[in-house]
Amino acid sequence: MNPQLEKIWMKVQKPGRYTGGELNSVIKNKEEVDIRFAFCFPDTYEVGMSHLGMKILYGVLNDMEGVWCERVFAPWIDMEEELRSAGIDLYALESGDSLSLFDIIGFTLQYELSYTNVLNMLELAGIPLLCSERKGLEHLVVAGGPCACNPEPLADFVDLFFLGEGEEVDCELIELYREYKKKKGRKEDFLREAAKIPGVYVPSLYHVSYQEDGTIQAIEPEQGVPSKITKRVMMDLDSIYFPDRFVVPYLDIVHNRAVAEVLRGCIRGCRFCQAGFIYRPFREKSVSTIDKQCRDLCENTGYDEISLSSLSTSDHRNLNPLLDQLLTWTKDEKIGVSLPSLRVDNFSTDMMSKIKTVRRSGLTFAPEAGTQRLRNVINKNVTEEQLMKTVETAFRGGWNSVKLYFMIGLPTETMEDIEGIAELGQKVVDAFYTNPDKPKGKGVSVTVSASGFVPKPFTPFQWEPQDTVEMFREKQKHLVNCVKSRKLSCNYHEAVVSFLEGVFARGDRRLGKVLLEAHRLGCRFDGWNDCFSYTKWMQAFENCGVDPAFYANRRRSFDEILPWDHLDYGVTKEFLIRECKKAYANETSPNCAESCSACGAACFKGGICVEDRKNLV
Amino acid sequence: MKTVRIWFKKTGAARFISHLDLNRCMARAVHMAKIPLWYTQGFNPHAFITFALPLSLGMTGERESMDMKIDETKITNEEILFRLNKALPGDLRVFAVTEPKLKPGKIAFASYTLCMEPETGSVCQLRKEWEQFLSQEKIITEKKSKSGMLTIDIKPDIRDMQIREENGKLVSDCILPAGSEYNVNPSLLVEAFRKETDQDFYCEYIRHGLYDASMRNFE
Ligand code: SF4
Repeated sequence: MNPQLEKIWMKVQKPGRYTGGELNSVIKNKEEVDIRFAFCFPDTYEVGMSHLGMKILYGVLNDMEGVWCERVFAPWIDMEEELRSAGIDLYALESGDSLSLFDIIGFTLQYELSYTNVLNMLELAGIPLLCSERKGLEHLVVAGGPCACNPEPLADFVDLFFLGEGEEVDCELIELYREYKKKKGRKEDFLREAAKIPGVYVPSLYHVSYQEDGTIQAIEPEQGVPSKITKRVMMDLDSIYFPDRFVVPYLDIVHNRAVAEVLRGCIRGCRFCQAGFIYRPFREKSVSTIDKQCRDLCENTGYDEISLSSLSTSDHRNLNPLLDQLLTWTKDEKIGVSLPSLRVDNFSTDMMSKIKTVRRSGLTFAPEAGTQRLRNVINKNVTEEQLMKTVETAFRGGWNSVKLYFMIGLPTETMEDIEGIAELGQKVVDAFYTNPDKPKGKGVSVTVSASGFVPKPFTPFQWEPQDTVEMFREKQKHLVNCVKSRKLSCNYHEAVVSFLEGVFARGDRRLGKVLLEAHRLGCRFDGWNDCFSYTKWMQAFENCGVDPAFYANRRRSFDEILPWDHLDYGVTKEFLIRECKKAYANETSPNCAESCSACGAACFKGGICVEDRKNLV
Repeated sequence: MKTVRIWFKKTGAARFISHLDLNRCMARAVHMAKIPLWYTQGFNPHAFITFALPLSLGMTGERESMDMKIDETKITNEEILFRLNKALPGDLRVFAVTEPKLKPGKIAFASYTLCMEPETGSVCQLRKEWEQFLSQEKIITEKKSKSGMLTIDIKPDIRDMQIREENGKLVSDCILPAGSEYNVNPSLLVEAFRKETDQDFYCEYIRHGLYDASMRNFE
């Protein structure tokens, strides 16, 4: 490590974010390494280190001969200042080497509001931001993660994107890179070749033209590159790589525990939820695989808590046998098992008793909308009756704090739906007091949390206009006014933040210059309240002559060419249109375990799409 | 049941973790190493680890210790050492496991090495000024205490100061009061010096050992 770094660490808050040296971090001999890969998480250490995808790929890449994958996080404001004033580049935690010494710089894109951090991190290592300014093969900038399903706003900066799950495609790309590095090939040739790898999208090989009204006229691939890029999916979860150890931070991070992945995809098809569509099809890991992976992780990390992670863990059809299996050894080893999210419809006392050993941080449920009508529109198939039954069970079990998540600004929403949020919250409060078995001597606290709906690509709502900032604020105000009890509290997200997210979620390449301008104006950590500056962002849009409302608040027609139309995540446009029309008619759709809605993801030939539905839930 | 004293070094990246983080890290390692802790009630392993004397952030500790109660019928001291080292990051190294001789409450002094590296000017000049500073009759500093800021003279507290130059650094060994009763952090001294001198320097701190009131090694 650069001895100068030490002096800086002494001056910043939480130096543990920047020192590396944690248990299980991978140190390799540089002599034996020919490809250096910087895995960059464009947020703080604490957030990034909690992310399962990063742990998986860190393990996959470091398992490759001759490849050394290191971690890089966005330095917090104080550290950034120190680095800049000392003239030290942003560095990777394992070696302390500047990001500029790496062959491949890979970003994971978890949320749109981290895009300015991507630019800032490159700049902090003196790496040219624009692909066109990085002529050589070195500093290849790549990115993956959920936001890669519409990567267009980043097309100017990122040489290539990985679509879908990275376990295989990342390695294939690295092998190709190694070949080109060895023969000192040209970047253009490499990219052309890379574009042939399934799941790799090279934006510079696709040309976008626009019509007079600003919508897209055509997206044209260059000769010899595929016209559609299909995401990669790992079909057999029992045979894919899973790390047997995690890097264990010294610092207390967001999720400081062992995390087992129990399934991928989701059967539900909630119409607002991008994850529910882009990760299809639903695939489960077997109980024995999960059990083994949990044991290894606990053995190698010393964690005393295991979280069973996925989009909807309680949809695992063998959840109860799994919990029983885990309990056979976790009890003796004083390890607690927790579920990150609970569903309203299958929450039971039995299950509660199995996960009870874990700290009781209060329960959270997500009805998402305040009225049954609107819940049908979004296909969130949870009834009020189920919710009430669940909270009653919880109250009987000793819980007295419940948090309910909702969205405002959903398609077809009226003020009545907003009132429904407060009413539902109130009913939960009332349920506590009418419960004869309520915990003695305790009051209840119910929180309704309302976030602004952001229409996302590859969902049935991808054509919807987002509520304007004014509309959001009016609805927030109305919600607050509807809350009558002191036992019920209410919080909501900043409308301007949802708006910006909305712009970038469905943005196109023309937002690249806005991003660059916002970066120039000093925007970073936009997802953090203390850093986000709406004024600067609006300035950036104005300076570039780009109207953000064009992206966020405009209704798109079904036949408009969308910026992500050349990317294929399995789900077809026809299906999404069908779902959108059903939404307008307040009609729900069955989940994949009940029956197949022919969404298109069956093209991957696996998971629930090919299973016999008779013995499913 | 018996109490064991675990001796370790805190170096490199581990210097930059707070006492709270160290506590958690050790508890995790003890859990991972399956050290048979002696539980009285409940199972909160944190409560069973007591550190002799917390080390300030950034300081290297050459001879740190923590005590824990174990079931000695189930494990040997060698085994504890071996297993803990496997469960700890490289910058926290256990080098001995012993039977405690002194109570942590008896700690009265600690020995330190201060390495000052001039950022501007020469080490020679720095030495001159440092020696001059130390030869004053009084060294008045401000020290945080439970009852607010105290102004104290720490000159009488400095013992066995030995100064030398090494690889462009000014290296000073000394002994200062330490412990829960009265503790003088060497940074108090260095920061007081920084205020007096024009020279800019970076200082690294190493704590070597702990002693009781009659300068017997804390064992
Ligand atoms: S093809 Fe059918 S079963 Fe498969 S994900 Fe789509 S809707 Fe679900």
